[in-house]
Amino acid sequence: MRLSIWLALLFVVVSFISLSATYLVVRDAQEQEIRVSLLQDMAGFRAAPTSAALAALVTAQAEETDPERRLLSYLLPSGRIAGNAAIVQEAEGYRAIALGDRALALSGKYISLTEVINNGLLTVALTAEPLENLRRIFTRVFLFSLLPTCLIAIGIGFLLARRASTHLVAIEQTLSSLTQGDLSARVQMPDDLNGDLGRIGTSVNRMARVQQKSTAALTQISTDIAHDLKSPIQRVAVLLAQIREAKDLPEQAIELADQASAETESIVKTFQSLLQIAQVEGGTSNLDLAPLDLGALASTFAEIYAPVAEEDARQLVVNAPEEPVWVKGDATLLGQLLANLIENALRHTEPGIEICVNITTTTKTATLSVEDRGAGIPEEERQNVLRRLYRLEASRTTPGSGLGLSLVAAIAEFHDADLTLTSAKPGLKVNVCFDRIDAPSSV
Amino acid sequence: MNVLTGTIQICNVPNAVDIVSFAANPKNQSERDVKILIVEDDATTGPYIASGLREEGHSVDLVADGKDGLIQATTTEYDILIVDRMLPHLDGLALLKTLRGAKDTTPVLMLTALSGVGDRIEGLNAGADDYLVKPFAFGELAARVAALARRPSLTEQETLLQARDLKMDLVRRKVLRGDVEVDLLPREFALLEHLLRRKGRVQTRTMLLEALWDIKFDPQTNVVETHVSRLRSKVDKPFDHHLIETVRGAGYRIAD
Repeated sequence: MRLSIWLALLFVVVSFISLSATYLVVRDAQEQEIRVSLLQDMAGFRAAPTSAALAALVTAQAEETDPERRLLSYLLPSGRIAGNAAIVQEAEGYRAIALGDRALALSGKYISLTEVINNGLLTVALTAEPLENLRRIFTRVFLFSLLPTCLIAIGIGFLLARRASTHLVAIEQTLSSLTQGDLSARVQMPDDLNGDLGRIGTSVNRMARVQQKSTAALTQISTDIAHDLKSPIQRVAVLLAQIREAKDLPEQAIELADQASAETESIVKTFQSLLQIAQVEGGTSNLDLAPLDLGALASTFAEIYAPVAEEDARQLVVNAPEEPVWVKGDATLLGQLLANLIENALRHTEPGIEICVNITTTTKTATLSVEDRGAGIPEEERQNVLRRLYRLEASRTTPGSGLGLSLVAAIAEFHDADLTLTSAKPGLKVNVCFDRIDAPSSV
Repeated sequence: MNVLTGTIQICNVPNAVDIVSFAANPKNQSERDVKILIVEDDATTGPYIASGLREEGHSVDLVADGKDGLIQATTTEYDILIVDRMLPHLDGLALLKTLRGAKDTTPVLMLTALSGVGDRIEGLNAGADDYLVKPFAFGELAARVAALARRPSLTEQETLLQARDLKMDLVRRKVLRGDVEVDLLPREFALLEHLLRRKGRVQTRTMLLEALWDIKFDPQTNVVETHVSRLRSKVDKPFDHHLIETVRGAGYRIAD
């Protein structure tokens, strides 16, 4: 739209300049014509031998001449005026008074020529009316051509802009689908679309195609890994179960079989977590994010974990607003996020402390945070703990895979939420800040 | 049909509040013979779950190929299909979609090595009734098979549940053990109700997590164990007879 206004302005300026140039040339020509005509007149009058003869000639011609068109005035040496008008020079210009039947002051613009002939002063003036008309006509032409020009310019500009914006919107939508994990999205372009937007669209499509191919390859690889690794693990689990069921097994063998089973289970858990982080980071494409009440999520998980916390005399407290707090999310993933944070707090703190699950809101955001009164994490270590399999020195002896917070980070990222680790003075506070959405209409 | 070889083992741990029983309970009189088709190409897993389910008293057919599975499932009537997701010739999802397309509503338990949330949704959308991620313990599979076999009865609306001297009034939200009233928290009440409604059937940790709190992942802490022990401390501990059993390697059950 801005483009079309600029375009219209440009048209106006160009037509103004060209019209003005034409006007000036035409006006000069016409003025020249008038002057030539005056010179010719003057030459005719100059031929008169005496002032009386000139006065007679002037009087004769003046009788046939409309003073509005042509002024003739001859100031005789005697002081008498012959002609159809008396012209007097005044401070601010000339004043002409028509003589004869109708004595009236004349107005308008004249081009005059004055010469002393036979001791008298002869002034011949022709009206500049044609010049005035010319100016009026050009002004009118300019104004009349301006309106359609502007309309056409704005119209064309608008059409171009709309065409461009349709393609821009298409490209934008495709890009947003792509970032949300739908790698099959493509920019729909008419075949004749060339130019910059066409090239950009083609590039976007090419990028999406490559991305889709490599993601498909990656998915295939992880599916293969999952299948090829899990099937043997399943078989090991089966074999261990069969050993366990064998008759007359020595006590020690039973114990070993149980230990082996437990180990396979922990292999599976770590493996599962790694796979899940990879999947969430890869953007789980077939997940629809739906409106979800953070407050309800917090109270559900507080209820689930309350008995676990109470086992070690810990307290699990929920601080949330009474009204629902809506964000867009996947219930399973966000449940896992919250569960991981609570479990993390339960695992890495001393018995008897308090763990808070807080929901705080601003007009635009909703923050879910879990804080504990434990030892906390030194500031320089806070980013490290989000890394996969990273464990603090202090917690190497406690159970856990070092994947819990990595998964939390991946899930937060998947939801476009900001994850920050701060100090709860003392203790750790993990904040996940979401964009708030309006309450769904069905509720 | 195999001869039943299940053993019952009572665990005498000090302060044991639970009865630990192991695996097979003989074919239940009230439960009719459940006919199961297993479509699984893995040479160890397939025969293992087949023999395990036979020991549970079910009649089981095993095929190792997707195409054979489809033919078998359409030509013979089964109560439950156990289908691996990745199969030679015709993969499990396609098999399932074909069956559902032909208006076959036989309950299907899908086994898979794929554990993503999206994979699970894809499986359930294709028409699977339940979804079990490999590797799994046999007890988990057996419990889920039992749940699928009994599925229709879940719609029954009972308001008074009972097991031996335990009475549960769902309307007045009261629990009686003999004449003694037991005071339960809402979450304990829900857990007890869930177990009582499925009296005689094992409920695994994951089944309880899914049913009670809609949790579809594996928590790292003993959430279910803690809830069950809380419930036991109120319902079982003060009384002579303990109702809630721990089934080793599987889950929990209230005996029929």
